[in-house]
Amino acid sequence: MVNKFLILVLFATLVQSKEVPPLVQQNCLNCHMQQKIPSEFIYRRYLMKLSTKERIKEHLFSYLKNPEIANSIMPKQFFLKFPKKKALDLNDTLLEESIEAYLDYFDVKKKLRLKNHRTATTPK
Amino acid sequence: MIKHSVVPSVKARSKIEVVKVVRVVNFINRQAIVMLSSEKRSLIRFLIIYLSSTFVLFALGTYIFYNFQKHQIMDSQNDKLQLKSEHILQKLRELHQTFDQPLFYPNEPSFDSAIYNLDKAYIFGTFNPKKIAWDKEFYQDGEKLFYLYRMKPYYLGAVYLLVGQDLDKKPFEALVRMLVLFLIGAGVLLTLLGFFLGRLFTAPMRESIEMMDRFIEDTTHELNTPVSTILSNIELIDTLYECEGKTEMKRIEMASKTLSRLYEDLTFLKLNHNYHRKIEKLNLSNLLIERLAFYDTLIEAKAIKVVKDIAPDVFIEMDHNDAIRLLDNIFSNAIKYNYKSGRIEVTLTAGKLEIINDGEGIRKEDIRLIQSRFKRANSSEGGFGIGLDIIGQIAKRYNFKLEIISDTNQPTKVILSW
Repeated sequence: MVNKFLILVLFATLVQSKEVPPLVQQNCLNCHMQQKIPSEFIYRRYLMKLSTKERIKEHLFSYLKNPEIANSIMPKQFFLKFPKKKALDLNDTLLEESIEAYLDYFDVKKKLRLKNHRTATTPK
Repeated sequence: MIKHSVVPSVKARSKIEVVKVVRVVNFINRQAIVMLSSEKRSLIRFLIIYLSSTFVLFALGTYIFYNFQKHQIMDSQNDKLQLKSEHILQKLRELHQTFDQPLFYPNEPSFDSAIYNLDKAYIFGTFNPKKIAWDKEFYQDGEKLFYLYRMKPYYLGAVYLLVGQDLDKKPFEALVRMLVLFLIGAGVLLTLLGFFLGRLFTAPMRESIEMMDRFIEDTTHELNTPVSTILSNIELIDTLYECEGKTEMKRIEMASKTLSRLYEDLTFLKLNHNYHRKIEKLNLSNLLIERLAFYDTLIEAKAIKVVKDIAPDVFIEMDHNDAIRLLDNIFSNAIKYNYKSGRIEVTLTAGKLEIINDGEGIRKEDIRLIQSRFKRANSSEGGFGIGLDIIGQIAKRYNFKLEIISDTNQPTKVILSW
């Protein structure tokens, strides 16, 4: 029984850990991983402060265009540990696409699940 | 002239009535707790007013109490929702700080919840109601209770946390059951109390009526013997001796007949509800002629002209004594309130008796009033004001239609139809 459950969890994890989109990997994660900056943590911070995807997208775009500490949603202490970001030399279209891919990759809605709910997992 | 055939029958009936009076009085004395009709009427009126006003008061109190309790129950269920939302919020906070996959949404048994972003767009949840009252903290939709909590900070991007729960009807049902039982209990208790109070309040009236009844009873009892003696002696004198004072004798006879009728009326009122009636097919035409003959002396004394138009063999089903009381009272009034040398018209057809008499007439507004016991429109003549009451009672008992048409200085018309 326990074995079956473990196999099920492992399978579910494999299915969910989808591949990182190249655009995100290239324009976001490479640098983040190199500097050990927690990407998902930053996403959650954005989520906690701005709530909607559109607002995050807008704010992120403006910040990446002009990455000043004052414009960042991260606490000041964050910049004591991690270096201040340099402005990206991506064109607007590519930047927007990268942001879209980044938000889509970390989208919390896709990670939420229901466990043993009396109603169906699909909301009414 | 005295009609010899009538006087003995009056005397005989009077004796029978006296025996009946004694029997009924004994019966009433044995049944002292039997309620008088007027007392019953007063008690019913009192109970209706008392119970209806108390019921309105209790219903209002119960309604207010029900609403108060309803709010208490709702508050209690809302508190549960609020408490559950705090649990869910705590779990959302933990989930926000969890980077493992998948993120299992907090699932509370018996409760549903959902989270919404700043644009009120659905993020996730165990339900997704179509209508949400975004401007309310607590609300009810159908049989479901909702609590909408505005979150800060926005864990998982959620700004609104909506928690829902099925309305627990059991406390409401228990409350209604309790209130119904209370109302029934209070109703029974108040009815008993009202009955007791009513009896207490009507006791003086009951005593007065009983006293009056006893007085009437004693009076009628004492009246019977002398009236019968006078009438039988007049008859004897008239038969055996040639009396010079014929006019004086007639006056004595008239006075005796008036007393006799009064005695009959009072006995009727006293025994009305306890008297056993023998309903039979009566020849009303004959009875009408017989009763008119009984009043010959009085009619002659006032020189009243009687115009009779009596159809032969008109039959009616009623008690003989009631029929006599009915006719006697109509004739008595027609004679008593007539002018000297006035006129009485008596018309009997199948299903209708019409008696018209001259006189001062009755004001239209008084016609209804004089039909009550002891009410009289004109005090110029003697009497207790019980005549029309007796006529009305008998008419009502036999479902006769009674019409009295009159006005000041107009003839009075009494129409009985059946």
